[in-house]
Amino acid sequence: MKKKTNVAKVLKNNRTLLLMCLPAVVFFIIFNYCPLPGVWIAFTNYNFRDGIFGSPFCGLDNFEFLISSGELWKLTRNTVLYNLAFIVVGNVFQIVIALMLNEIRNKWFKKVSQTVMFLPYFISVVLIGAIAFNILNFDTGALNTLIRETGGDPLQVYSMPGVWPIIIFFCNMWQQTGYGSVVYFAAICGIDSSLIEAAEVDGATSWQRIRHIILPSLKGTFIILLLFALGGIMRGNFGLFWNLTGGVNSQLFETTDIIETFVYRTMTTQNNFSTSSAVGLYQSVFGFVLVMFSNWIVKKIDPDYALF
Amino acid sequence: MRKNTTRKRAIALILASMMTASLAACGGGGNSGGGSSSGGGESSGEIDTSSHEVINMLVLGNRPTNGRLEAMLEKLNAILNEKVNAELEYTYVEWTDWQTQYNLQLLSGDTSLDLICTATDWLYGWENVIKGAFMPLSEEMLQTYAPETYAQVTEDDDWEICKYEDEIYFIPEDNYIQYTNQGMFYRGDWAKEAGIPDGTITEFEQLTQYFQWIKENQPDTIPWDVAGKNLPGGILGGYISSKSDYVCFNGVGVGNYTDFWGVMQSDGNTVTSPYMEGDEIYEAAELMKEWNDMGVWREDVLNFDGDAREEMYAGTSGADQHHAQTYYSQIVPNMEAKQPGSDPKFYYWGMENQNISHPLKLHQACAISANSQHPERALMVYDLLRNDEECYRLLNYGIEGEDYLVTDDGKLARPEGYDSSTDALDSNFWLGRNDDLELQDSTWWDGTQDFIANLNSIAYDYPFENFIIDTAAISSQQASLANVLSKYLPQLAYGKFDDPAAAIDDMRAELEAAGYEDVKASIQADLDEFVAEHGDVQFVRDSGSADTAEAADTSAQTE
Repeated sequence: MKKKTNVAKVLKNNRTLLLMCLPAVVFFIIFNYCPLPGVWIAFTNYNFRDGIFGSPFCGLDNFEFLISSGELWKLTRNTVLYNLAFIVVGNVFQIVIALMLNEIRNKWFKKVSQTVMFLPYFISVVLIGAIAFNILNFDTGALNTLIRETGGDPLQVYSMPGVWPIIIFFCNMWQQTGYGSVVYFAAICGIDSSLIEAAEVDGATSWQRIRHIILPSLKGTFIILLLFALGGIMRGNFGLFWNLTGGVNSQLFETTDIIETFVYRTMTTQNNFSTSSAVGLYQSVFGFVLVMFSNWIVKKIDPDYALF
Repeated sequence: MRKNTTRKRAIALILASMMTASLAACGGGGNSGGGSSSGGGESSGEIDTSSHEVINMLVLGNRPTNGRLEAMLEKLNAILNEKVNAELEYTYVEWTDWQTQYNLQLLSGDTSLDLICTATDWLYGWENVIKGAFMPLSEEMLQTYAPETYAQVTEDDDWEICKYEDEIYFIPEDNYIQYTNQGMFYRGDWAKEAGIPDGTITEFEQLTQYFQWIKENQPDTIPWDVAGKNLPGGILGGYISSKSDYVCFNGVGVGNYTDFWGVMQSDGNTVTSPYMEGDEIYEAAELMKEWNDMGVWREDVLNFDGDAREEMYAGTSGADQHHAQTYYSQIVPNMEAKQPGSDPKFYYWGMENQNISHPLKLHQACAISANSQHPERALMVYDLLRNDEECYRLLNYGIEGEDYLVTDDGKLARPEGYDSSTDALDSNFWLGRNDDLELQDSTWWDGTQDFIANLNSIAYDYPFENFIIDTAAISSQQASLANVLSKYLPQLAYGKFDDPAAAIDDMRAELEAAGYEDVKASIQADLDEFVAEHGDVQFVRDSGSADTAEAADTSAQTE
């Protein structure tokens, strides 16, 4: 009896917080937990008539395709490396930009630069692909026109797999950094201002304030964002990759093919839901293991920052 | 303590951002099945149409927004309501990512769908039959509820090709001729200047001569400004069928490469693939390298997705690649209007060795959804749409006087100021067009009928209409093959390898490793079964029999 009243009390005391959580909880239950049994498709030879649970069980047959194609290693490598670069360098950039924004005193300039950095986030990747093509293509591209005018030899960018990691990385940074920095900027704004004022009174330079107050305060946000991002390390930004590389230009596959583009290319005309689910499951399990593992490491180092 | 508050703040921040995300994602509308449940109905005698039914038809295409479709449906539904107490409703699968959308739509088990547009070569017909998406149709049912259609298809003896395990699943669009054999559109005036006899290309190699001439004499024109992105296999297949007697199986392509599996006419019972066997692919790849070096297309052809057809109309591309119907319905009228004197011509694959098949009868067909709540009424509606002149014209052409006119000689014309890019009806009734009711389009090339008659006289009947391949058994190897092809074929097709022959050797080795032989054996087993049931595969031509050509000719002309 006593316990029950306690639960009720807790509920009552935190009702506003709980209410705020509700949409997110409902969202995850509907879109992430309810479809979970559908994972079963990955282990069946799916057909419409028998449905998800009536279709014949076929064990790991659907995973065979990933392995037998001999591409698993290349795809996993590309996907993971791209994402690592995006996550690590991306976060560093975002923090640096947030710090710089924080130091800017001119309000007008601050708002304008924030908006300008924010804008690419809203540009469709299809457009980014088109812009890139118009800059980089051999016959009429801006880059090659410039090179020709200045007497150089034009570059066949779309036949040079080596440069594409840089191009893709650049486009991704250009698109994501402004948006990502807002999170850090908000975290900086949340730092108790009396700390910073006290440091100022004690004669700390801006660099010292950043080094000893702001950066340590951002550590928590950084680690949480990092852990979240690691969970998605096997998922690539399909739209960006597909639109930038054109999808069928096999000259670039070696350095630009990620799991998503590979699956789309090979499966889109096959109408095979089982194999597609198998690939999705592989990505999810890999991501899950990675999050658990990183969380475990974080916990070892400093349990305060672990997610759970 | 401080750490903790920061952490809490960070968490709150993240939760807040998730909430916004979740709210944003919650917009999708649910699609509840709207079909009222009505029983299987009656057994014999008078057909009971006492309850009003909504028949939902799935077609491919972008839903028009100009209101013409709705205006037409209003009139059409008044007739349908009166005759069979039903109304027609449209569901569109839009062209964006249509392969996935179409199959998902069928997969969803939506009970509101009734009539479904399908095809065995491009809309996964047999696969969906096997997966149970369609309802088997008994002959009695067809006879009772779609008598006119039943009579016509029976007369043409086409039910056999619609059967899977002895049950009928499709109503074929078999009384509508539409040649979709691929080839290259080019300009006769330039071909003549290039020194090609009569300005008519009759052999594949003459394309080289044509392109070379453009390259040298038309500086503002790219010989063939193809969007390689949308045609990743290029015209390797076109070369192969022009230089060998290869016939591909429709509907069992490997990934984007739909002509991978087939047979040689000389050995119709043996599955093969010209990409894996024979020398044609080497010759084709060498030729494509020559074209690439010559500059037939732009350097970044594989990333280009422009529209060669529009460019050809504008004079900036010397050629375009597509099929016969596009030639006589669009290319000729448009080129004559936009490039007067250009004398547009069509070189189709297999012209030189007469390797052309009659159009597939199941290139389009109607199927009834397995989950249809009222299949009987759906058939009744279909029978009217396909055979009743008034309904047919409304559905396919719109409202007379507003959407179309009939000329004095009984041809289809458009009213003054009609612009097909904004005023089109887009009803896309590809489930059962009917040459008996079809109006000849006065805007098409006036040589169309002769052109079709000529093709009819040289083409053979496609023998694999009812050849059903067990695609489920081979799907994972097929995906592996698709992966290998996607690596090599685009570069072979556009001459991007320095040494195409070596690349083909590598490709063949990789295909072998990816399970080529297994897939081949599986398809061969299906073919053996097919042969055991239907006899040896033969390629029957009705060459010489002029009356067949004439029959097709007249049937297309009568309304």
